[in-house]
Amino acid sequence: MGMVTTQERKRPAGAQLRQRPSRPSPPPRPWVLQWAAGAVGLGFGATVALGITAESWSQFKSTGGVAIFFGSLTGLAGTYLALVMVLLVSRVPAVERVLGQDGLLRWHRTLAPWPISLLVAHAILLTIGYGQAARTGTMHEIGVLVNTFPDVLTATIGLAIMLTIGVVSIGAIRRRIPRERWWAMHLCMYLALALSFAHVIALGPSFVGHPLTQLVWTLLWLATAGLVLVYRIGLPIWRTLRHRLVVVDVRQEAPGVTTIVCQGRALDRLAVSGGQFFEWRFLTRGMWWQAHPFSLSARPRPPHLRLTVKAVGDFTTALANLKVGTRVAIEGPYGAFTSHVRDRKHSLLIAGGIGVTAVRSLLEDLPRGADPIVILRASSHEDLILSGEVAELVRQRRGKLHEFVGPRSQVGFDRLLAVVPDVRQRDVFVAGSDEFVHHVLRVLARLGVQKGSVHFEVYAL
Amino acid sequence: MPVKTSHSILAASSLGFAAVLALHATATPSRPVLASPPATAPTGTTPPSSSATRTATGATEQFGYGEVAVKVTVNGQQIVGVSIATLQTAESYSQSIAQQALPELTQEALSAQSANIQSVSGASYTSAGFAQSLQSALTQLGL
Repeated sequence: MGMVTTQERKRPAGAQLRQRPSRPSPPPRPWVLQWAAGAVGLGFGATVALGITAESWSQFKSTGGVAIFFGSLTGLAGTYLALVMVLLVSRVPAVERVLGQDGLLRWHRTLAPWPISLLVAHAILLTIGYGQAARTGTMHEIGVLVNTFPDVLTATIGLAIMLTIGVVSIGAIRRRIPRERWWAMHLCMYLALALSFAHVIALGPSFVGHPLTQLVWTLLWLATAGLVLVYRIGLPIWRTLRHRLVVVDVRQEAPGVTTIVCQGRALDRLAVSGGQFFEWRFLTRGMWWQAHPFSLSARPRPPHLRLTVKAVGDFTTALANLKVGTRVAIEGPYGAFTSHVRDRKHSLLIAGGIGVTAVRSLLEDLPRGADPIVILRASSHEDLILSGEVAELVRQRRGKLHEFVGPRSQVGFDRLLAVVPDVRQRDVFVAGSDEFVHHVLRVLARLGVQKGSVHFEVYAL
Repeated sequence: MPVKTSHSILAASSLGFAAVLALHATATPSRPVLASPPATAPTGTTPPSSSATRTATGATEQFGYGEVAVKVTVNGQQIVGVSIATLQTAESYSQSIAQQALPELTQEALSAQSANIQSVSGASYTSAGFAQSLQSALTQLGL
């Protein structure tokens, strides 16, 4: 009953609230990233030093000692880097706001080959080293290690899983696998890490007989697992339950482009900036188990939230047939592609195709008189979506809108300097497909635009 | 920004590395050495002295993950003391296994009064190395 009265009392103000977008996301604080990076680096240096000091000189000189030393060291360093990989996907909001989800994923992908190759080297070196120490063959030693050493069997299974996922994640192979299946496989990485945890503590030279390092290592992994649980599972569930989004309208924006309007509770409490996106999960049969990233195509207007999606695959095509009343789960907001990153007075916003959604919502966060120049790129006028809304927002801000329409071969960015003579004095926001964004980045670099002034969001199509 | 971040990672790594090394250097190396100082004890049969107590150190036996040498003291025909002259392992896990097993093996040898002893479960390599070195010491003493 109490709930009802509160809501009713709020209703008159709601009419005004409806005009006002929800709160912007907190601004990124770059020092958070610096400190986080410092802490991670500190841990890495300490881990390597631990691995070195764990071995005595006489052990190093004994038969198999060299291989065992480097085997232990690669294992320790590889496991630490695996921990960093998990930290990078935990999407701690304070760090995510600085790097953006795609920034975190870029680091994750850049780092990925290291832990896997170090851990494979670890397994090979230790098998050789133990084989030498035991004066048995390397092949024979595989059996001995797996059968008699504690937790080595589970760790071996863990490494096999890790290696499989690593191979499948190599670009050329990954592109042949449906996104959802790849994602499901990738989740097994957590299992692989859990399986390999015990043997580190039981056998690692830095841990045997050192309860303090055992404790610190265990706490480090528990804390990392905690971050994943809180930010990848707990927070999304909490937000989903708090806002209770339901699909209220599904309409075709253009051929193959669908706008979905959701209604939810307390959306004025959802801090999200223009240009950000959510991972959406539509709770209906056949769809509920997969989450996909889509930008908001407008700042939230409590109680409404809107996304615009281009049909590029089975899932996005099926969204056109979404039923009104479907419940929606959200994870996010994510993305550093917001007006917070501006450090110049004027902005240039460039959108390719569906990239207009992020530019459209970002535009709302620019102050009146911001004089933005907006370039929308599409191959035909039909594909020029949301251009009416963009034109209105640009007009309110006394900016200019340019539409570059035509086949790719005929419409390039040669005219960019003619259209934006002061491009070097502007913050430049670019959103679109991978190919589009990188093409524009090259053009901007050629025009002498500073890297720090260019902000971009890549749409995985 | 990415340049600066990678710099701070690098600087912090060096700091963490140096800190642990410094800590390790200041902390007294408390590597648990079970081995008594390498016995300068005669390896041959001790010259018969006034008392009947004689000591010998067995051959250093490779036991898979390291090496072990056993020192034995006898009074006449009776084994009165068994200790470890050398224990060296390739890595810490084997060291800790050996350190757990050796006191047990020592006790067994004292009660069996021979090198004919049961191997400690989970430390079969260590047990075998211990028994062989013990036997070689006893042989030196003519037992």
